[in-house]
Amino acid sequence: MQRRNSLAAAALLMVSALGLSGCAGQSSTAVADVGAEPEFSGSLSILTKFAGEPLQPYFEDLAAEYKELHPEVEIELIQETDQSIKDKTKTLTASGALPDIYFSWTGDWAENFVGGGLAADLTNVIAPGTEWGDTFGQASLDAFKYNDKYYGIPLYNNGKFMGYNKTAFEEAGVEVPTSFEELIESCQPLREAGYEPIAFGNKDGWPGLHYLQQLFAYNVPAEVLQADFAPETAELNHEGYVAALEQFKTLVDECTDSGEGTNGVLYTTAQEALAGGSAAMYYQEILEFDTVTADGNALTPENFGIFKLPVPAGAEGDPEAIEGSPEGYLINAKSPRAALAVDFMKFVTAPENAATLSSPPYGQPSAVVGAVTPETSSEVVHAGIDQVNNASQVVVWLDTVTVPEVADAWLAGGEAIISGSSTPEQVLESVRNASNAAK
Amino acid sequence: MLTVEGTRTRRARVPGNPSPVQQTPSRKSGFRKVLGFTWVLPALLTLGVFVYLPLVQNFGFSFLEWDIYSGSQTFVGGDNYAKLINDPIFWSALGNNVLYAAVSIVFQVCAALVLAAIIESVRRERWRRALRAVYFVPSAISLTVAGLLFYFIYEPNLGLLNFILKNVGFGALAQPWLGQESTAMMSVIAMSQWQGFGYSTLLFAVAIQRIPSELYEAAAIDGIGTIRRFFTVTVPLVREMTGLMTIVTISGAFQVFNEVMVMTSGGPNNSTQVLGTWLYRSGFVRNDFGYAAAIAMVIFLVTLVIALVQLWITHRRRVEW
Repeated sequence: MQRRNSLAAAALLMVSALGLSGCAGQSSTAVADVGAEPEFSGSLSILTKFAGEPLQPYFEDLAAEYKELHPEVEIELIQETDQSIKDKTKTLTASGALPDIYFSWTGDWAENFVGGGLAADLTNVIAPGTEWGDTFGQASLDAFKYNDKYYGIPLYNNGKFMGYNKTAFEEAGVEVPTSFEELIESCQPLREAGYEPIAFGNKDGWPGLHYLQQLFAYNVPAEVLQADFAPETAELNHEGYVAALEQFKTLVDECTDSGEGTNGVLYTTAQEALAGGSAAMYYQEILEFDTVTADGNALTPENFGIFKLPVPAGAEGDPEAIEGSPEGYLINAKSPRAALAVDFMKFVTAPENAATLSSPPYGQPSAVVGAVTPETSSEVVHAGIDQVNNASQVVVWLDTVTVPEVADAWLAGGEAIISGSSTPEQVLESVRNASNAAK
Repeated sequence: MLTVEGTRTRRARVPGNPSPVQQTPSRKSGFRKVLGFTWVLPALLTLGVFVYLPLVQNFGFSFLEWDIYSGSQTFVGGDNYAKLINDPIFWSALGNNVLYAAVSIVFQVCAALVLAAIIESVRRERWRRALRAVYFVPSAISLTVAGLLFYFIYEPNLGLLNFILKNVGFGALAQPWLGQESTAMMSVIAMSQWQGFGYSTLLFAVAIQRIPSELYEAAAIDGIGTIRRFFTVTVPLVREMTGLMTIVTISGAFQVFNEVMVMTSGGPNNSTQVLGTWLYRSGFVRNDFGYAAAIAMVIFLVTLVIALVQLWITHRRRVEW
């Protein structure tokens, strides 16, 4: 009975979303005037990706402070997790109930909202050269640039690094690897020293894509890679893809304890393995650095180090590339309170709030210039952002940079490589088919 | 009252009789009909708006290609259905639903009936009650919670199942149960059987309790053994419940969603996709809402047929004794 209810709920959710779209979705034709003088009254709705500890209080505190400054303004926070926000955003979009301000990744994800006329053009207020725009790094602003217009407010930068336990490395007598091959070689001594060399959980599929995207950047020339993200120009026949898939399989087999069962392990379980001191390494985002070394964890900030996933020998891509991208917020183009929304986001990205965001326990390196310093942020967060800023290019997450059908094919392919049910060639063929179908 | 109305009716049949006398009852009954209709109108409206209108709308959406971002809707005829026929994941998902149904019939109908018969054959009432409770407890747990619980039981490194296998000398059987395509679907189905088994058993127990004890006593006097008694007395006399449970079980197997979402999200490599999760993924992950609507129509048609069979069975003459 419960089963029936669940499916009925899912179907009703979809049907309602579709149905509501007819009456609410596209009813508003007003175009947001983001440059207008804000009227400090009414209710402002905000969809964040800050649910759960330790992030949840950040926007709650900001909302309370903003309300103190503007008592007539009510702020309605909808806080979601990294996992749930995708569904929530799409449901709200389909039902024409997008909030005034909503979270977005860069790449194809944000482009959908821009193309659909759901993201306000913020060029007049945030483009480089404007007062607000000049507070951000230009690369962060450019990440939300489409058709020469600026649509996003980058809140924090992000990048992916191998975090490691210095004590484990010392006990195993291994150095920080300088090549992919050295990384693989270090796994056996670490295992002999009593550590799981690399903790890895891929139950949700996307952690595997993060490895793959960094390896693709190393193995496939940048211009080929960029062309392959768009189905219209994709060929997906560079030999670097197969090499990267093979390297990924080697890493899973040689360096993880879960091996072919990695798809059955939660990402958070892997994170806890490093934080708890049982794993020597774990591939993670800058946003997680302060989490794995939080008070109470076996891994302390002093014992925690980071390095970029090392480059494989003979790779034909860009060895200086790093995977990551800023994440930020869009303003609903149909919001009647767009000017107020802009004012709130200016408040959120004010220097003192940007510094708070970059500090423990939040550890989200703000995209605001000067917010991440050795004084305001933990040592590793600062070091990570420094590397991101100095990278030759930042390659956007594989699951948001390309169209959903292709991302889905990579997702299934990554799982198939881990479980050993498909060869790299078979995976690449399935992705090519998905890309061709999406043209 | 009936007599009076009957008299009036007879009068009304007389040719040339004045009309006022004729109109009174029909106006009254007409008013009653309207009044009665107004009472059920809210329920009809609710049913129409929240059940039938979405169904009709969904059918319409299955012929569209719809971009939720721009709101543009393009009529594509039967393209979504053609795509469905050529989609290997759809067929794999359908196959998983059929597998789900087959295993569920074995456990939730056949095995549950056997277990119910065993429980009901226990002489001591106290033990009977205790056994019913023990088997029913998993059914009281929500599917989401049960899914999460089994997710941790199946965890390859820290999970209880592999821990037990390794510690009783069957370490070679330890598997990444949910992490590999060969075992993931059956692992999810196994959890589902654990969860639903007690409920089916309880329903069969109730059906067995309705069988007159004289029949069992007569069988015992004739020297019929336990197993033959089960096949000659119990099975025929719970036929109605067996039919109902079979239909409900098959119908439920085609609507499975929660446990798959919680435990595997359809992975790895789409090996545990069922129609419900593939609908969800097509709509909410791949933004292909028209295609998702077409999948929803398939689920609707399958469950409609099953529901019609169910109605037919429940309207058949009941077993009398």
